[in-house]
Amino acid sequence: MLDLRVPSGWFFTLLGVILVGMGLITPDARAALTDFNVNLYSGIAMLIFGLFLLLMARLAAGKSR
Amino acid sequence: MKLAPVDYVILATYFAMVLGIGWMLRKKVSTSGDFLLSGRAVPVWITSLAFIAANLGAQELIGMAASGAKYGIMTAHFYWVGAIPAMVFMGLFMMPFYYGSKARSVPEYLKMRFDEKTRGFNAFTFAVMTIFSSGISMYALGLLLHLVLGWNFSTSVLATAAIVLAYTYLGGLTSAIYNEVLQFFLIVAGFAPLAILACVKAGGWHGIVSRLPSNMTHSWTHMGSAADNPMGVEIFGMVAGLGFVLSFGYWCTNFLVVQRAMAADSMSAARRTPLVGAIPKMFLPFIVILPGIAAVALAQMSAAGGAHLYDLPLKLSGGVWVKDYDQVLTTLMAKFYPAGILGVGLTGLMASFMSGMAGNVTAFNTVFTYDIYQSYIRKGAPDRHYLTVGRMTTIVGVALSIGAAYLAQYYNNIMDLLQFVFGFVNAPLFATFLLGMFWKRATANGAFYGLVTGTVAAALTWGLTVAEGKGGVFGHVHTFPSVMAQNFWIAIVAFTSCFLITVLVSTVTRVRKESELEGLVYGLTKIRRDENARWFERPVVLAVFVLVLAVILNIWFA
Repeated sequence: MLDLRVPSGWFFTLLGVILVGMGLITPDARAALTDFNVNLYSGIAMLIFGLFLLLMARLAAGKSR
Repeated sequence: MKLAPVDYVILATYFAMVLGIGWMLRKKVSTSGDFLLSGRAVPVWITSLAFIAANLGAQELIGMAASGAKYGIMTAHFYWVGAIPAMVFMGLFMMPFYYGSKARSVPEYLKMRFDEKTRGFNAFTFAVMTIFSSGISMYALGLLLHLVLGWNFSTSVLATAAIVLAYTYLGGLTSAIYNEVLQFFLIVAGFAPLAILACVKAGGWHGIVSRLPSNMTHSWTHMGSAADNPMGVEIFGMVAGLGFVLSFGYWCTNFLVVQRAMAADSMSAARRTPLVGAIPKMFLPFIVILPGIAAVALAQMSAAGGAHLYDLPLKLSGGVWVKDYDQVLTTLMAKFYPAGILGVGLTGLMASFMSGMAGNVTAFNTVFTYDIYQSYIRKGAPDRHYLTVGRMTTIVGVALSIGAAYLAQYYNNIMDLLQFVFGFVNAPLFATFLLGMFWKRATANGAFYGLVTGTVAAALTWGLTVAEGKGGVFGHVHTFPSVMAQNFWIAIVAFTSCFLITVLVSTVTRVRKESELEGLVYGLTKIRRDENARWFERPVVLAVFVLVLAVILNIWFA
């Protein structure tokens, strides 16, 4: 059975990389009311979440083997 | 709102992802049970997130932000009063019968407990309802994408429907459920930043409280009389109508959500599904409602130049400009999200739409295949045949929803009415289940006539009362302070009349033998204990934890 943590982990890691990239390349990108680099911070959060899912999947796979 | 290339990349990645998950799960489907019931093999963390995601459609997302701006923190009652207690009840008391009876659907449980006509009544109303709700939400999304991004209505509706069709066709219920979890994560990822940004900009919760009237930032304080609060509902109507009848009717008997719990891999996991789901559910208001409340505060704040930071969106209605609350969410996104995170937010919106639609389609599938096709059209065929029928029904279900979406586009008023009707058509059903599961003397005829009476009573109450100038088709007996109050009271009337008639008819009709009711009724069912479950996995422990948290939230924002 497919471990859902693997695809969603990769998905959020990828999203995180894209957003962190945006945050670093265009740190001044702002919408009308944003005061800080929202791409960078939310990107970091998604990256951590994605890697966390991948880690959990890895641990579970190790246990079942 | 303008999208940048990176936003399209994010959207495309997401589409590829959901299709990929469907593709990876396609090999798992070899029987109709795999396709329609997930073979009862899904882990609990997945079923519990799918349980709340299937309910979290685009309309819900847009509607909750809209209600936040219109009614304030009282909107959270739809979660803290209108969902959590019912989810706890479902996990503790009802799941043992659903899961233990081996019924494949909610209508099938009714057939096992009562009889064929009760099942038929429920199966048909449910099938019609899912198609229309899926169509209405598709219409809402198409309209919004057209309004906000200028996308063509047909293109966006057909493209998203095609993707949902592809992944549910490939992997069946498992694929729908797996994607719902991904969609849930994405909704949180896409909208939590918005809630934080909007709230911080409005000066935090204290800043919001200082700018809004007190009855928008207190959920219980102004409930004494309907005239004091923006929702126009008094405390009894709220607690009995929403908190009891409507919410228990929805969360405990609607197959759309029950199906997710039934897909769990064990009795214990099935019981824990709504309980575990209740934990994220109770914090969702901070993501979906808070932006709407913050929007009202922002609309009262001025920038350096003197202009408002934000203006509530308007629409032309009957020649006058009125507030268009449904656009609050998207206009906030445009104000706060630069390219990049904007793509994530938009993808979250699409994800919510897809999870809602896939939920409807898979529930429709199962009920049609097992409760209508197998029961009334062709009995006793080999399982392969029903697998094919299930797959075909997926296509038909999606096609019908698209039809309903176009119908909604042309006959807007009919859809408003239908949506209103669906709001209370489930209300009497909870009385039927309550008596069926906990009173062994309830009979089939009692259940059927109770259900019919309850539905008729609901329609009559609606036809005889007026709220906000609507209703009163058959006469004018009573005026409700708001449509919301009318809705809650219709539910109360429907439930009460169904309950009374079921009891009354049951006492004069023949009772079934106790041996036939084993596994279906409380007191005649041995509820298995999971001896090897760890203490925090026990349903009762979880339930107490959830309820304590819910009480704390209610007091905090009272």
